Amino acid sequence: MSRWISILWLAFLFSIPLWMIDLYVLHILINTGIFVIAAMSLNLLLGYTGQLSLGHVAFFGIGAYVSALVSLGFDLELTDTYTFVFDAKPVWIAFLSGIIAAGLFGWLIGRVAFKVRGAYFVIVTISFAEVVRLVSLNWIDLTEGPMALNNIQPFTLGIPNLWEMTLYQKIPNYYLVLVVAIVCYILIRRLVHSRIGRAMIGLRENEPLATSVGVNVTHYLVIATVISAAMAGAAGGLYTHYFRIIDPDIFLFIYTVTMVIMVVSGGKGTLAGPIVGGIIFGLLPEILREFAAPEMQWIIYGIAMILIVFFLPDGIVPALKNWWKNHRSKRTDSAEMDAGT
Amino acid sequence: MKTVKSDMSEVLLNVENIAISFGGLVAISDLSFNVYKGEIVSLIGPNGAGKTTAFNIITGFLKPNSGSITYRDKSLTGLAAHQVAKYGVVRTFQKTSVFDGNTVIENIMMGLHLNGRCKVWEVLLGLPRVSIENTRLEERALEILDLVGLSNRASDMASDLAYGELRLLEVAIALAAEPALLLLDEPASGMNPSETASFMKTVSKIRDEGTTILLVEHDMRMVMGISDRVVVLNQGEIIASGTPKEIQNNPKVIHAYLGYGDEDA
Repeated sequence: MSRWISILWLAFLFSIPLWMIDLYVLHILINTGIFVIAAMSLNLLLGYTGQLSLGHVAFFGIGAYVSALVSLGFDLELTDTYTFVFDAKPVWIAFLSGIIAAGLFGWLIGRVAFKVRGAYFVIVTISFAEVVRLVSLNWIDLTEGPMALNNIQPFTLGIPNLWEMTLYQKIPNYYLVLVVAIVCYILIRRLVHSRIGRAMIGLRENEPLATSVGVNVTHYLVIATVISAAMAGAAGGLYTHYFRIIDPDIFLFIYTVTMVIMVVSGGKGTLAGPIVGGIIFGLLPEILREFAAPEMQWIIYGIAMILIVFFLPDGIVPALKNWWKNHRSKRTDSAEMDAGT
Repeated sequence: MKTVKSDMSEVLLNVENIAISFGGLVAISDLSFNVYKGEIVSLIGPNGAGKTTAFNIITGFLKPNSGSITYRDKSLTGLAAHQVAKYGVVRTFQKTSVFDGNTVIENIMMGLHLNGRCKVWEVLLGLPRVSIENTRLEERALEILDLVGLSNRASDMASDLAYGELRLLEVAIALAAEPALLLLDEPASGMNPSETASFMKTVSKIRDEGTTILLVEHDMRMVMGISDRVVVLNQGEIIASGTPKEIQNNPKVIHAYLGYGDEDA
């Protein structure tokens, strides 16, 4: 049942560029896809370990900046006489560097922040994101600050010197984002269905009990942060090489909030939740733009959010699952009653 | 009937001179006792005597101000709770404590954490051994549910269980961690007499399979019916220790529970 839904859903996603000729729509789908990846990564932390990271955009931005800088190359005046020169590297190396850098920062934040829990963790993550934003804004030698890094190379695919394709067009970029999203989805699914994921869920549900059966809290929370940060970094890398320009606004708090909205509305702690929430709140502003005045767009956006949280506090996916379960049990119940009479 | 009598020669757990106070309140002033391999020892005493505090100290949830805890020649003093569990000392909680949002079998599989070996990278790569391990853990979880008699509820949500079943589930989660020493904190509280009776059988069965049990319980029928030895705690100190029979007739114990009668009356 759910297997068939997945296959149909995948087939649909892969077929979109074949019949969708409007490039603008494709652009929006790419943008949404990038945010869905970021939301999935946040879900690993927020949904499965139960820790709210309100600085998640920091990992996204670090991935984006590192990937951009490695692909562009940079030089740093370390002392008056010595300048460190970093040559431009191929985009795929840059992309991987962004993922690794974000993962390392995730490890750092995990180590520091999980000494403190709950509200303190939230504060540490917000502060971290703000510090990173200020660094990107003020370290002009490296990041160009508000002047932005531009002319960033798009992705290239293929074998060097034999056959290469540079992804300037929307369609290949769409497929790239789709593939990365699928990989992230598979990794998260493997994780949460393993003993590692069970340890994380155990910590969310009942930390003392999980500890009493031997779960090392810090260890698993750090693992979750590293993987989550690395995936957010991958989303950042995709963003960088697709938009080909980034500035410190990428670290704005509103992006974190958007990710949290996507996760919570879709259903935190479910695999499909961030995808559903991400698609709804990624596409909603664009759909509304077609027929609503700018002020109305955000009012509708807000109302939609409140309605979802109010009527479906667990999110859309758990609500649908429950509905389906009740529907089925009702049917079998009435079938049994019919058989009984 | 198979009975494993306690082997008084092998000390499994040695608690020596532990003391702890919270601010000015002395919870435990000086507590020492031994638990021998294969026995069921009950720790009893009036409310506030320090029984749960002793559990918390033994299992690493609290650090004692002084004193030492030794388990099979290894010191547990100052270890974190998850490390204590690794040694095979596992506890349950006084207040019902399960993973509410998960199914019964998932609860047990979470308890089986230490039984699994797969590393993060193996999981991410989706190696075949990961799913082999998962199947193995699932089978083991079903065995444990069988032992406590919850196998018919395996796929129900923990939050849908009746109270008595929840208490069994707690014990099952602890058993999943493969304890050599199992500490049960008021497992029968809130059970009705028939549930308690069948629970006592389950505890005996667990002991017969080789797990030593340290029990905190208020239900005296259970304590006296099941224990090899009883240790009585009052105001942070041991006031008596012995077989259930000795304890029942010990005047100090009677006084601790009932107070001193009005001698003039």
